[in-house]
Amino acid sequence: MHEVQPAKITSPVVSLKDNYVRLIPIALAVAAAGIGGALLLSLDMQRFSYAYLTCFCTLMSLCLGGLFFVIVMHLTRAGWSVTVRRIAEIIAMCTLPMFILYLPILIPLMMGSDEVYIWNVEGWSIHGDEAHKQEVLAEASYPPPIEELKAMYLNRWFFGGRMIAYFLIWGAMAWFFLGNSLKQDQTGDKNLTAKMQKHSTWIMIVFAGTLVFSSFDFEMSLSPFWFSTMWPVYFFAGSMLSALAAITLIAIWLQRTGRVTDEITVEHYHDLGKLMFSFVVFWGYIAFSQFMLIWYANIPEETFWYAWRINPNSAGVMTGWQWFSLVLLFGHLLIPLLALMARTVRRSKNFLLYAAIYLLIMHWIDHYWIVMPQYSEIVSHPTGPAAGLTFHFNALVDIPCAIGMAGVFVALFCLIARDRPLVPLKDPRLGEALAHHNP
Amino acid sequence: MTEKQNQEMEDQKLLGLLAQFEDPVSLVHACNEARESGYNKIDAFSPFPVHGIDPALGIPRTILPFFVLIIGLTGCAVGLGMQYYANAGDWSDLFPGYNFMISGKPFFSLPANIPVTFEVVVLSSAIATFLGMWALNRLPRLANPLHRISRFKRVTNDKFFLLVETKDPKFSREETESQLNQWGASVIEEVHEDLTDQQLPSWLQLVGLMTALILLIPPVLIFRAEGMTNRKPRLHVIPDMDWQEKYKTQTLAPNLGDEKHPVFLFVDGRAMQEPIPGTIARGNLYTDSEYYRGIKSGTESFATLQSAGARTGLQDDASQDKSGQDKPDQDPTADEKPAEPAEPDWVTQFPPNVNVDQALLERGQQRFNIYCSACHGYAGNGDGLVNARAMALAASGQATWTTAKSLNDPEIIKNPVGRIFDTISNGRGTMGPYKSQIPVEDRWAIVAYVRALQGTGLQPVTVTQADEETVEK
Repeated sequence: MHEVQPAKITSPVVSLKDNYVRLIPIALAVAAAGIGGALLLSLDMQRFSYAYLTCFCTLMSLCLGGLFFVIVMHLTRAGWSVTVRRIAEIIAMCTLPMFILYLPILIPLMMGSDEVYIWNVEGWSIHGDEAHKQEVLAEASYPPPIEELKAMYLNRWFFGGRMIAYFLIWGAMAWFFLGNSLKQDQTGDKNLTAKMQKHSTWIMIVFAGTLVFSSFDFEMSLSPFWFSTMWPVYFFAGSMLSALAAITLIAIWLQRTGRVTDEITVEHYHDLGKLMFSFVVFWGYIAFSQFMLIWYANIPEETFWYAWRINPNSAGVMTGWQWFSLVLLFGHLLIPLLALMARTVRRSKNFLLYAAIYLLIMHWIDHYWIVMPQYSEIVSHPTGPAAGLTFHFNALVDIPCAIGMAGVFVALFCLIARDRPLVPLKDPRLGEALAHHNP
Repeated sequence: MTEKQNQEMEDQKLLGLLAQFEDPVSLVHACNEARESGYNKIDAFSPFPVHGIDPALGIPRTILPFFVLIIGLTGCAVGLGMQYYANAGDWSDLFPGYNFMISGKPFFSLPANIPVTFEVVVLSSAIATFLGMWALNRLPRLANPLHRISRFKRVTNDKFFLLVETKDPKFSREETESQLNQWGASVIEEVHEDLTDQQLPSWLQLVGLMTALILLIPPVLIFRAEGMTNRKPRLHVIPDMDWQEKYKTQTLAPNLGDEKHPVFLFVDGRAMQEPIPGTIARGNLYTDSEYYRGIKSGTESFATLQSAGARTGLQDDASQDKSGQDKPDQDPTADEKPAEPAEPDWVTQFPPNVNVDQALLERGQQRFNIYCSACHGYAGNGDGLVNARAMALAASGQATWTTAKSLNDPEIIKNPVGRIFDTISNGRGTMGPYKSQIPVEDRWAIVAYVRALQGTGLQPVTVTQADEETVEK
């Protein structure tokens, strides 16, 4: 174990103190106003559910990115990241309460609703009114075998069981790291670090497995015919990027409000900026790889998913989703790629603040682009995927919902952070992190 | 060090002072002191990278990243340009590019070219980083005067050194030495110019020359073999690429079983299958009947299509529809001829997407002169050179020949444009079809030009008449 400098916390304030008591009601009020407002303004449970699922997946992937950050830092025995690791630990712990936020989607699903996940009904490849479904089901050749096979995985009981398992596993992992780290704050026991390192190995494998299948379940199964083995990597790339942006944003917020002022230095921001830059590139690499393989193979079973988002609809009209695709190409890849390239930029706290907010907005747009065209697809042609496709961006529904979900995140963060220290006080590598220096 | 060596070194030019330090902290401290005292020709040496040594020495941040960025962007442009040239380039006679149509794919499409562009960017950036680092460090450098100081060898082990060069404007032999001592140097040594023989040893030169000569042999042999005949079979480097396990197109597949139980790739024994009836090659779905066949849309009934005949290309599908399954695999050209073909409903106006203007007429004239004038003559009177020669041969009984039609014949003038188009496309009487030679738009251009010729109503202008006219003038 590398232990050079004696660690000493010098900041006067290292926790939220009593402020969290004041912050939680405000954040919850924002959350209730935003999400409730979205529900009232949409006046349509299905439309609202999709807007809500978009925001939920955005935040869910962010929390999973935080969990990955914690695991990978233990796995690599990283010294530099100790001072920002507690923020990531708290973000990771948010995964467990996120289950409650998934209930508005999961409970209707378990009660048999196919409004969001269209596979949740017999003969699910057909959307539309009941009479039409019955008519199609009456035909002898129906359902085709592909639906039967997929129904072995995509059925409500297995799905619900998987969801409970995912959240329990993530919650247990996050608590393992956060709990042991908090215990170390009291005791200063170095063996706890060794223990976390040892178990981070198999935990990483379990995390990878749950992330893969949960990414299939949350978003890919919205379009149950479509499949992409690149999907989990794509989900993960965005998830890690958003987690890094959130860690940066929270660190800057904490420091601007006079907390942990000495522990998180420009060197840590520089490293977070480097990681953000690399995950911008990684996201673009994976997004393009997924797109290009499908584009090149040009198999109708795969291309339709992108065709909905890029091409004109069957009536030859551009739907508007192509603008979202272009925003992602430029806004999520090319602009941040060039903006985060320079060293001086990555060492500027002011710039990183804007970059983090910008990347979080882009992350939301990314998930919006994934989820919402499926809604357009369902409602715009009840008779099957041949007919036209329309555009369903509604700022009055989607933006309040996103702001509400941000409020939920702040509330969860404060609820878990409470007056706990925001840096690991007695981590054996704290000294290394404090003395960290980028050449 | 012996007296003699010492004497030698004193004769040589002084390059600088080398101070030894015992730990990295004192080295960084000395570097800071030296920089603050105004030295700028200083350099530090240590067994491992020391944090903070760059600012202590006053070394500015490297410009390598900008260099790499520029090279990377250049690589991006070169990578894209290379692929554009190799797939879609078609701009000059000297470098025409290779825009071949392959599988109906677009010549240039950005997504397909991103991976190669990306790789070129990464490769060029990596090479630029590597070579740029060498260049900025003034490498490779085969010798350094410091290597002659035996004490300096421990720089790779446990000692730390600071070199102050004499080139430094602040350098002075005595004062610098006292300053270095003050900053914590344990030992200070002079560094002298290396005046040993810098010539390569003669045996090494000989070896180099020999190697160069030996390396010349293979290209000389290749050059010699190029102009020679060789009766030996060629060398097959990758045999399974030269002799592939595959069936050739349009052949019978061999029997893979035995005589009694034959096993073929396909049940009919062929190595390849016919296209599924009704399939049409990409880009060959000619739905615009007026444009592609000269027949009014909606009137192309089965009968008219069949009379337009073997020539529209739709006949294959049609005859299969008609004959059903009890007449399998019949050669379509062997169909019995319809007794009296009904005349299709030809278009009387040019199709809407044919824009009749001067350019079209000029194109039509040019194409007409190439394809039609040989028989029909430049004015369309049926007096082309082929016709004249054939008539002469026919007169002497050496050939049979049907006179080429005069396009100014009143019976011909009555024909609607669609029929003229059909005649050019599919031939008529003894005239052969020209649709394989002449693209659709050019055929319509010829039709337009024929119409223009018919409008002039010119009589044959024979060579003699023309000559007389010129003589009169």
